Amino acid sequence: MKIAVTGKGGTGKSTIAGYLIRHLAGSGHTVVALDADPNPNLGISVGVAPEIVESMEPILNALLDSGHTHKDPQPPAEELLRRYGVKARDGITLVATGKVERPSDACLCCGSHNTTRQFFGDLSAEHRVVVADLEAGLNDLIWADPKQDDVVLAVTDGSAKSVEIARRACGLAAGMGVTRIIGVANRSVDEADRQQLAKELDIAEIFVVPEDPAVLAADHRGLAPFDAYPDSPAMVAVRELATRLVAT
Amino acid sequence: MQSQVLTARDRWAIETMQRQIAVLETRESQVRQAPEPVQQCAGWLALQRQVPGYERYLRPWIGGVGFDGAVPAIAEHRTALRVRLALADSEVARFDPTTRQRAQQQVGLRLAVIGKGGAGKTVLASTIARLLARRGRKVLAADLDTNPGLAMSLGMPPTEAGLPPEAIEEHEGGNYGFQLAGGLTPPEAVERFSTPGPDGVRYLGVGKISSESKWAAKQSVPAVVQILLGVGSPEWDVVADLEAGPTTPFERYHAFASDVMVVVGPAWRSALTVRRLLPMLTEVNPIIVASQYGDEPDHAHLAPWGRIPFDPAVREAERRGVAPLDACPDAPAMRAVESLVERLLDRAATVPSVEGGGR
Repeated sequence: MKIAVTGKGGTGKSTIAGYLIRHLAGSGHTVVALDADPNPNLGISVGVAPEIVESMEPILNALLDSGHTHKDPQPPAEELLRRYGVKARDGITLVATGKVERPSDACLCCGSHNTTRQFFGDLSAEHRVVVADLEAGLNDLIWADPKQDDVVLAVTDGSAKSVEIARRACGLAAGMGVTRIIGVANRSVDEADRQQLAKELDIAEIFVVPEDPAVLAADHRGLAPFDAYPDSPAMVAVRELATRLVAT
Repeated sequence: MQSQVLTARDRWAIETMQRQIAVLETRESQVRQAPEPVQQCAGWLALQRQVPGYERYLRPWIGGVGFDGAVPAIAEHRTALRVRLALADSEVARFDPTTRQRAQQQVGLRLAVIGKGGAGKTVLASTIARLLARRGRKVLAADLDTNPGLAMSLGMPPTEAGLPPEAIEEHEGGNYGFQLAGGLTPPEAVERFSTPGPDGVRYLGVGKISSESKWAAKQSVPAVVQILLGVGSPEWDVVADLEAGPTTPFERYHAFASDVMVVVGPAWRSALTVRRLLPMLTEVNPIIVASQYGDEPDHAHLAPWGRIPFDPAVREAERRGVAPLDACPDAPAMRAVESLVERLLDRAATVPSVEGGGR
């Protein structure tokens, strides 16, 4: 199974992706944690030490450093995963597609976006779960180009902007043929948020993750909430989401 | 000199540079014709801020990667920009200190707002734009995000389209395959295609991504970038809200700005993002603004220049999708932005005007 996590910046994409990854890995699944953000930080939510997250070589940067150009064919996804994946706890493999570090005239369509497209597209979904944490906003969803059998999670945080961006993400994903699109009402304050979001996004499957001071506290310190507060309400909610995702 | 076949990319670069010089020549002649010495001086001061923007935009081209055939033209262009800057410097130096000081107060801001998603960039940019406009200034609020948001925070109806088709034209060598329409100058583009918003702010933006418009949203981007670089009249304040993360500075959407405001929230990852952004801003003095602050300590080595408190009233406005300045004008966060605007204007008015003016 391949899951793409999308949404407005700051809604909690990486945090939710991180919980999901840890829950799935902890319950025996083989998990690839794919950081598609050119500002990669998924590793933090997975519980990888910040120094390791900073020193990781994303696929594109590693290829460019070894003399690869965007005109050369990209090596097969499984080969890239073996080369550039970093092992994290519970057997999780963490890999990033590309990091943007300095202004340049290289274009992003030949760069990290295209790497994301090819890598996410080519990675096998057999016997493993791939969770891709996408860049903030809608652009990266177009590049990731999820398919019929993939799952798209559109994360919102209660703000009108995040709901509007999620609404567009659902429309884009449906247009790409994705059949399982789930709206996530993160930092939800009451049950009414579920109905409201279902109405706004016009999709049936909505998942509620409650507002949780434990997540905020972990976020302020750069910790994975999973390690800091494993039984906090938001953690418990995402555990259910993980179970639901793999059960069907 | 070795003759070189020009690629479409080279031709686009050369045309872009020629257009930039034409913009500056027009501006210079308008400045010379200004009736009052203070206006003339303000015009040259504005050019002191505008010309380095073109040079910042040009910087990654130097070395010619991707522009082999345009290497000589790029080198010439850089020299031409430096000559124009030296001209502006020498013109400014001709005015007496009193005139310069008065002129300095008339020169608009060129401000770009960047940071991690959710840090509060859009609320900040839109509120700054409206508060500047309330002071009677001409303000251009530029939306450089292909995701919707700025119009909402300004209190305007959402817009889907970027620039209309007549404002852009295809160029096979251009970024995203498009550029500003030939014959349309940046100041004309602002006059014709910006739309009026609350408090008299003028809004100009790129297109928005939706299921109906997957790629077209980007078509306005190169034109809007050139428009911002090309707005040189001192009367305009330009406030641009950039898409989250490192990709917009990567593509140098911020080149036009003499001030880049980097917004950091209390989250550790927000600080990580800012630490990654700062090395991309070597040619400007970044202004760090701490946003959504409670009683958290500041991030190490990111001492904020300004501070906007976390404000439940702003969060509620964001929930409802209305402009915080309309929903909660007296909320602490709004008052903090007001004082930030005051300080931005003071700062701009005291930038040394002869040596190193605005650079």
